[in-house]
Amino acid sequence: MDDPLEARAVSLVKSGDTAAYDYLVSKYLKRVVSVAWGIVRNAHDAEDLAQEAFVKAFRNIERFRSDEPCGPWIFRIVSNLSLDVIKHIKRVHHEELTDVQPAARRDVADLGAQSNEIASRVDAAIESLPEMQRIVARLHLVEQFEHAEIAAMTGLSDGTVRSHLSHARRKLKEQLADLYGDSHE
Amino acid sequence: MSDFFERLRTDAAPLRFEPDGAMMSRIAARVRERISQPTVAQLIAAWFRPLAASLAAVAILASVGLVFASDNSSSDDQQQFASSNYEISMAGSDLSVGN
Repeated sequence: MDDPLEARAVSLVKSGDTAAYDYLVSKYLKRVVSVAWGIVRNAHDAEDLAQEAFVKAFRNIERFRSDEPCGPWIFRIVSNLSLDVIKHIKRVHHEELTDVQPAARRDVADLGAQSNEIASRVDAAIESLPEMQRIVARLHLVEQFEHAEIAAMTGLSDGTVRSHLSHARRKLKEQLADLYGDSHE
Repeated sequence: MSDFFERLRTDAAPLRFEPDGAMMSRIAARVRERISQPTVAQLIAAWFRPLAASLAAVAILASVGLVFASDNSSSDDQQQFASSNYEISMAGSDLSVGN
């Protein structure tokens, strides 16, 4: 593990020191909320899911190996919880999620008008993809996870992740041809 | 990965959702509150542990009591047997055994 403080916090939590868990929450909170939001696209649900993921991780910390970083493990928990929510919503409503809220971007004020427009176009293009392509593409493009990490987080095989990304790339390239027309494969 | 995807990745990075300070504080506080509360299993264990200990103590006392009562009972039988008179008739003679 790269972070000795994290290893120390994990062993303290395992020995019953709940206050030490604050370090892990503060370290991964932003990313965990962002991963949840990327899947459910709803700030309120993302907040609940992040909370649930941290509590679940705490309850199961005995099973976690202290020499590994916590991040991938917590991201996997929040991804699974978020995917369960999507499945539940689909089962109840039998329809795609349409209540999409715009992302609260940290650097929206720092982006120039042109960059902002590009980001909006990219966001809309990703959102237009079929559900699993959208989730995988968002985890790869926005959250910057690699194939193997996405496979571990979503429970999909590495091949399926690559397949989703390949389809997503083709569709995104078509939709964003005017922005990335000069890019080559 | 293609050049297109690499450029897209760079442009998509700012799309990451950034929770505001209030949301982060809320989540951290709720997590802290929830992990400091015992789980249902821990609550049940807390209730059942003394109950199980009491039942075990009662069972041990009952076992000891039964063994003690059983020992006393057999020694009483022996005393009663020893203090009784028995008469045996054999070949026209009456013989008496005991006190």
